[in-house]
Amino acid sequence: MTFSPESRPRFAPAELIRQPAFTALLALVLVFVLGLLFSGDGAFYKWGTHRDALRQASVYGILACGMTVVIISAGIDLSVGSVLALVAVCFSLFGIHWQWPAYAAIPLCLLIGAACGVVSGGLAARFGIQPFVVTLAMMVFARGLAKTVSGGMKVSTAIRTADGDYSYVEVPDIFRAIDSRLLDGNLSVVSLIFLVCVVLSWLCLARLRWGRYLYAIGGNEPAARLSGVPVAAMKMLAYGLCGLFAAVAGICQAAQEQQGDPEAGVGYELNAIAIVVIGGTSLMGGRGGIGLTLLGTLIIGYIEKILSINAVPEASRLMLTGAIIVAAVLVQRRKA
Amino acid sequence: MPLHADRPGPPTPVPLLRMAGISKSFGRQQVLREVCFDLRPGEVHVLAGENGAGKSTLMKILGGVHTDYEGHLELRGRPVRFRSPRDAAAHGVAVIHQELSLVRDLSVEDNIFLGREQSTLGWLRRGPQRRRAIDVLALLGVRLDVRRPVGSFSIATQQLIEIAKALALEADLLVMDEPTSALQGPEVERLFACIAGLKARGCGIVYITHRMEEVYRLADRITVLRDGNHIGTSPTAELPAPLLVRQMVGRDLSPAAAASAPTAAEVRLRLDGFTLRSAAGAARPVVQDVSLELRSGEILGLAGLEGSGNSALLWGLFGAHDGPAAGSVLLDGRPYRPTSPRKAIRHGLALVTNDRQRTGLVPALSVARNFTLASLPQLSPGGWVNQTAEYRVAAALAQALGLRAASLRQPVSTLSGGNQQKVVLGKWLNRNPRVLLLDEPTRGVDVGAKQEIYALMRQWSAAGAAILLITSELPELLLLSDRILVLHRGQVAARFDRGDATPERILHAAMGGQLT
Amino acid sequence: MPPTVSNRSTCLMTIVAAVALIAAALSVTHADQSANRPQAKPPASQPPPARSYTIGMSQCNLGEPWRVQMNAEIKKAAEAHPNLKVVFKDAQNDTLKQRAHVEEFVSAKVDLIIISPKEAAPLTEPVAKAVAAGIPVIVLDRRVLGDQFTCFIGADNKLIGREAGKWIVKKLGGKGKVVELKGLMTSTPGQDRHTGFREGIKGSQIEIIFEADMKWLEPDARKEMESALARFDHIDLVYAHNDPGAHGAWLAAKAAGREKKIMFVGIDALPHEGVMYVKKGVLDATFEYPSGGREAIETALKILAGEKVPKEITLGSRLFTRENVDQGGEPLGPPAADERKPEPGAEPPPKSE
Repeated sequence: MTFSPESRPRFAPAELIRQPAFTALLALVLVFVLGLLFSGDGAFYKWGTHRDALRQASVYGILACGMTVVIISAGIDLSVGSVLALVAVCFSLFGIHWQWPAYAAIPLCLLIGAACGVVSGGLAARFGIQPFVVTLAMMVFARGLAKTVSGGMKVSTAIRTADGDYSYVEVPDIFRAIDSRLLDGNLSVVSLIFLVCVVLSWLCLARLRWGRYLYAIGGNEPAARLSGVPVAAMKMLAYGLCGLFAAVAGICQAAQEQQGDPEAGVGYELNAIAIVVIGGTSLMGGRGGIGLTLLGTLIIGYIEKILSINAVPEASRLMLTGAIIVAAVLVQRRKA
Repeated sequence: MPLHADRPGPPTPVPLLRMAGISKSFGRQQVLREVCFDLRPGEVHVLAGENGAGKSTLMKILGGVHTDYEGHLELRGRPVRFRSPRDAAAHGVAVIHQELSLVRDLSVEDNIFLGREQSTLGWLRRGPQRRRAIDVLALLGVRLDVRRPVGSFSIATQQLIEIAKALALEADLLVMDEPTSALQGPEVERLFACIAGLKARGCGIVYITHRMEEVYRLADRITVLRDGNHIGTSPTAELPAPLLVRQMVGRDLSPAAAASAPTAAEVRLRLDGFTLRSAAGAARPVVQDVSLELRSGEILGLAGLEGSGNSALLWGLFGAHDGPAAGSVLLDGRPYRPTSPRKAIRHGLALVTNDRQRTGLVPALSVARNFTLASLPQLSPGGWVNQTAEYRVAAALAQALGLRAASLRQPVSTLSGGNQQKVVLGKWLNRNPRVLLLDEPTRGVDVGAKQEIYALMRQWSAAGAAILLITSELPELLLLSDRILVLHRGQVAARFDRGDATPERILHAAMGGQLT
Repeated sequence: MPPTVSNRSTCLMTIVAAVALIAAALSVTHADQSANRPQAKPPASQPPPARSYTIGMSQCNLGEPWRVQMNAEIKKAAEAHPNLKVVFKDAQNDTLKQRAHVEEFVSAKVDLIIISPKEAAPLTEPVAKAVAAGIPVIVLDRRVLGDQFTCFIGADNKLIGREAGKWIVKKLGGKGKVVELKGLMTSTPGQDRHTGFREGIKGSQIEIIFEADMKWLEPDARKEMESALARFDHIDLVYAHNDPGAHGAWLAAKAAGREKKIMFVGIDALPHEGVMYVKKGVLDATFEYPSGGREAIETALKILAGEKVPKEITLGSRLFTRENVDQGGEPLGPPAADERKPEPGAEPPPKSE
């Protein structure tokens, strides 16, 4: 048999329907239709609503990009919410209190996030501790660190002076820049950052050899190790990337709140995991991709938005969201 | 040629067990064909056969693990059909498995009574249970604190605890599958004494072993299986060792004309006193004091039965063994310490494992990606994977190996066994290894693909690769190997050149028999 | 699972990363500690003139910034009296720890206990035991059950909500379209600020066009406000149950370019938060939710001097608007003591944040 380089896989329609991307896309279309029907007095027909839905979902989406990388390597990272808070606090400290320029504050913040991830990954890989346990510990540690660094208070434009009074500073330019809009007010900068994160993580997973290694590790770690894949180093890379994305999310969060809240991000890791799962990436590892996560982010973002513009009471929202998550996962289980 | 050895003699009592016409297949593979087996009270009946002859399957049917089979099972004269292992145990059948079935973190006494805890209305009666556990262990000459977790004891002790578990069942039908694989001299003696005691009490014991010395020490009768067929059942006195071996092997082999063995080629790999210990710290090393020489272009066959250490030897050379290694390894004349697979690959070694599902392939990835998994650094300069080059390499490999697949982008799990094995071979082929370590390269592969793989192996050795080959199919071993090394319990038991080896001599050595 | 024995480089990278992380944390913490951590030592310049008293202060948690503020106020008020020594204990939101703290204070025979309990029922008995042992107990902000305590000092969320409603009615001239952003509606403060507000606007033509539960969180308030902005072209005022919520709504309006046309009202008035927002022109008004730290020390002094104090002291609130913020706002009085009926067993409000 010859396999010409151009030979494309033949997909029967039945094959196509079973692809995870197809189900996710279908789910998104259904949610969209729901929005058209329950448009909240026409709010759904305005571009502003969609732009805002994307903005709201962006922080979760950025976390989900990093989470996808880790989940594909058959791991999990529960610490992203706490790392987000830590970096939000640090970024506010550097930018607002110490008036550092952006080119100094941002790289250091990214480094802090990446370092948290590398430590988690290193402990998991080197000592064989389960990722769930390691990242749980990091979740608690990073939260404590965030509270220590911030002194338990929000790091905001009100700076406490020695005699217990407050002096006020201006919100730094970089914060305003991140929380602004582009393209004539039609796209939030935060959404753009999210899309950039999607592209970068896609490149890593799909085009770089390290991405291939991660898929192999998630698919069958012993076989990967025996094939010469540097398993420990790759795990550290995956968690380091996840921490890096959590740092990006923290910077965006701080900019959007104009402060660094050490209590920020509580429960965000569950949102990120939900997005990845709804998108269709398997929690067992070895399959899936960033495209699915992008769809998952949009699905969750739009569901939240539709519930919000229709002023659905909180209790009903929780039940509906829970039911939708279960439905989405059930739909995907029909595939082998 | 079946040997029916039931002679008229003193009236035999009602057999404890009678299995008649047992057949079983897994999918399209027929594992047992009309096998008959019976067991009398107070006898030790050895079940003998090569790897894959069907012994374990037969015992799993008896133990209630496999519930769909054809044939007839009679226990103490009454027909039975077990629905589960628990059912079998309730009928007085106790099976001691080869793989330990103990729960590491539970205590010894809890393990012994697992699933059959003595309780009143759910409340554990610890006192009587503990006393019974201690008594049963004493039968085997073992005295230990039964409250400690099982995992804290050595493998040998764990094996004795496994045996105690079966004894505690007070069954009168025991199946022992390689019970001495982890035991040393005195422990083995105690086990034999225990078995003698059980015999005296009228229990029947089915004993599976590869060790000649054990067969002739314990067996009252011997049943031989071969390729799923029942070859014969004889009293021990009527089946001397050579005959036993001949029955086990039984084929008429015509060794195919092979390429001339290279003599003057350089030595690629030399082992001197190579020893591997297990990570769990068992007293007996997994591989002990193995010395061999492998030349470029040569295929050296490693023969050995379960527990002989031949797979471990390959893993150890590849740097994938958990425990400490000792001894000297010279690769192309230079000292080499196997520490990790990555290092081994860098030095030109390749390992094809005997379980491609668990350790050979990544099932979710495509065929092309599995082909290139070990070669990614070359295909991705600076980290960016060159996708066209990758696909080209995969296509070339598929062609060279005669791979049958609809597309290279489909998941490798959708291929047939033989084609999957070709993917594994192709993955390593792409690295042009200097030393190929092959562990059962044709396991689960159909006849046609087997021939193709044989041809490939001959091509590679002709091209200068040195191959260490493990295969439990003796004909294959004889066909392909230039020389054969036989391992028994981790040590080299015999060495053969191409002309000298016969299946009987190999099997004899593999079972620990002394060469005459 | 065998660890990869060979990977020395991995181990090294892990250690370097961990050390870098810890070093960064320590250096930042150090720089920040002096600015942010409240000292607990009162100035010891001269020997105490009169008899010195020890007060034990049991705080249920210091995770809520408002409670940090409460402790800071107590400390500041106590510093003015050199004969007062206050010992602070933080129960980290653990009821059992708080019980233990109260019992520790009793064994140490402090002169007075101030407590802000996490929950009413579990702390009732330790407080009663303290009173029985002769130690007066001031309960701050959250109640205990029954009446075995010396004095309860707290604020009234319903009152604040009502005042907010009345102020809004006045400001909008009796009619307008209002968005209500609610705090966690399963908590008492959220419910009180909601019902109080509705009482305050009763009878007017104020229309609540959109209400949502933003759970006291700023990002959630922003999201809900964006929905409101998308849905309604005309919004007059946003009433948020706390200042971060109001700020989040303001940010949403600013992004939409509509912040100048909408008024924003919040509650809490922490000096570095709500009051600052009013000063900066972000909020139009904020209502103080007082912590009662100062009043606690004043009452404590009275008790220690042997005076009789009322069983319940309801704190008044202050209103901060752009006009009066520089003068420190204007007080809104509490209703007279007999008007207020304490509800037994009512779960006292956890602070909004």
